[in-house]
Amino acid sequence: MAKKKLSPTLKIFLIFIAIEIAIVAFSGNFSKELKIGFDDGKFIVKNEATHFDLQEKITEEFQIDEHYRQIGEIPKIYNSEKIYNFFKTIFGEATAVGTFNLLRMLLIVDMVLLLMAYLIRKKLFTRPSKPQIMFEMIYVLLEEFVVETLGKEKRHFTPYIVTLFIFIWVCNMIGLVPIPGFMEPTRNLNVPLGLGFIAVVVVHATAIKVKGLWHHLQNYFNPIKNPLFILDLVGEISKVVSISFRLFGNVLGGAIIILVVSSLVKFIVFPVGLNLFFGIFVGTIQAFVFTMLALTYIGVEISE
Amino acid sequence: MMVEYIRIAAYLGAGISVGIGAVTTGIGSGIIAGEGAKAIVTQPKANESIFRTMLIGQAAAQTAGIFALVVSMLLIYGGFDVAEGGWFKVAALLSAGVAIGIGSIGPSIGAGYSGGEACKSIARMPKHSNAIMGNMLIGQALSQTSAIFALVVSLLLLYSVPNPEEGISIGRLIFKSVAFLGAGLSIGFGTIGPGAGIGYVAGRANNMIGRFPDEKASIMRTMFVGAAVSESTAIYSLVVAFLLIFAV
Amino acid sequence: MENITLAAGIVKASALLGAGLCMGMGALGPGVGEGFVAGKACEGIARSPENASLITRTMLVGQAVSESTGIYSLVIALLLIFST
Repeated sequence: MAKKKLSPTLKIFLIFIAIEIAIVAFSGNFSKELKIGFDDGKFIVKNEATHFDLQEKITEEFQIDEHYRQIGEIPKIYNSEKIYNFFKTIFGEATAVGTFNLLRMLLIVDMVLLLMAYLIRKKLFTRPSKPQIMFEMIYVLLEEFVVETLGKEKRHFTPYIVTLFIFIWVCNMIGLVPIPGFMEPTRNLNVPLGLGFIAVVVVHATAIKVKGLWHHLQNYFNPIKNPLFILDLVGEISKVVSISFRLFGNVLGGAIIILVVSSLVKFIVFPVGLNLFFGIFVGTIQAFVFTMLALTYIGVEISE
Repeated sequence: MMVEYIRIAAYLGAGISVGIGAVTTGIGSGIIAGEGAKAIVTQPKANESIFRTMLIGQAAAQTAGIFALVVSMLLIYGGFDVAEGGWFKVAALLSAGVAIGIGSIGPSIGAGYSGGEACKSIARMPKHSNAIMGNMLIGQALSQTSAIFALVVSLLLLYSVPNPEEGISIGRLIFKSVAFLGAGLSIGFGTIGPGAGIGYVAGRANNMIGRFPDEKASIMRTMFVGAAVSESTAIYSLVVAFLLIFAV
Repeated sequence: MENITLAAGIVKASALLGAGLCMGMGALGPGVGEGFVAGKACEGIARSPENASLITRTMLVGQAVSESTGIYSLVIALLLIFST
């Protein structure tokens, strides 16, 4: 019996439909108020809720504490007022829900990473399985970049670089999971800012280790050698700003555009194509760019 | 009376947005079409792949124009006919149109240059048309990132502008309204340079992949890093726009 | 809520408008310039791939220098926003 081979276009189309059905089935936000039936003699699919306040939606998605303060309800994730008040005393009133969400998402990302590591390490073979091949490829590729930029004796930077890449990548991917309340942790500015700060600290620690503290400080505080040293200091701060805002801006921009497009189509169809572009393509590229920039900053600093 | 002002601002913003956006996307896709025609003249055998590259490149170069169209549709039909928001809303709506309108100049021209170079280099090396087209698409997506920043700012200006507080003093009313205008101008002009610059990077990368296809990996890596660094001024503009919207 | 007079409001308003224009226009030059640097670096790496790390380093240093005008604009914009 000859197997029929599907054409690539049809395959992509089927994948789209499958993802669409999965999202509509699992996600409570969509399809809840969807009604299929006859109206005015025509068979139509229509959304029962006719009025969408985009402003409210954007506030709910991006300033969640402000949203709950405006409507004066207890947030869904806490269920009871006692727990909500408890978290209010820990995180402060202005960020209680947002911080809780962020920490929950970070814990989920950590758990995914640990689970991945455990599952892959559990069965390491000389004849590797598919996921093992994938992760070995990522490791080898990034190790090549490290060796090319820093030289062979600095190979021990590879674990840091690979960790950075996989962490940011999983963070960007986790927003694709169609469960209400799931969001990318990188959408909160604190996460990219922390990562960027760590990267710049690693750069300077490496430079001090290689060149010595005195020699390294001369680049920044010696007015004879470097008359514009204050601008160099501003440049160091701007490194943190640009590397972290690049990640944050791309992820947030994608989220806002997906939200607006979803509300333009009245939440009947989920914009799967946009999710693929902003989630997978932009997420992967931004993770890669963040990693490469951290690596090249180290390379520039120790090679002078 | 306030409703009329808000409507006037919304319609003005819609006109500015799609007007400037259409001009520049026209230029961008025109560059690609011109280079594609030239390329078919030099290499008539490869006309199919050149034609395909030209069409896809033009579609990608028009992304910023489509963003401008979306914003102007939202401005016209997005329900801005209530007196909510007052003068803040007037300034913000005008500024939203300006932001995406001016912000689509650079990315369109950049994506146009990148697509033109891709057509040229496919004419030189028709065998590697797939690699060149893939690189062209990635480069155009990179240069549209700044257009996405402009779109984010204009959507925020459309939908997350607060109401003026009760008993607001006239000075505060004026400077907050002008802050929204400043945010639009900042991100609008701020995306021109990075958009065009990243387009240049992607164009040169396309050209060089056409000449030295073996070096594809290292060329693409340089393109990523170079484009990401050129984007940093757009990010500074984004930061200033956010500060002007939320922190003033 | 502090009471701001009309004159003070106009002064602050022009400072904020100036901040927006400053960052917007100031981002024009560095953006194009850095893009030019990176484009030429792509060319260089294609022509002599054995010098890839040297070219990348030169590219990054050159971009950092040409970005300094962008950083000046950022500093001025922040000053205009927060210190007037």
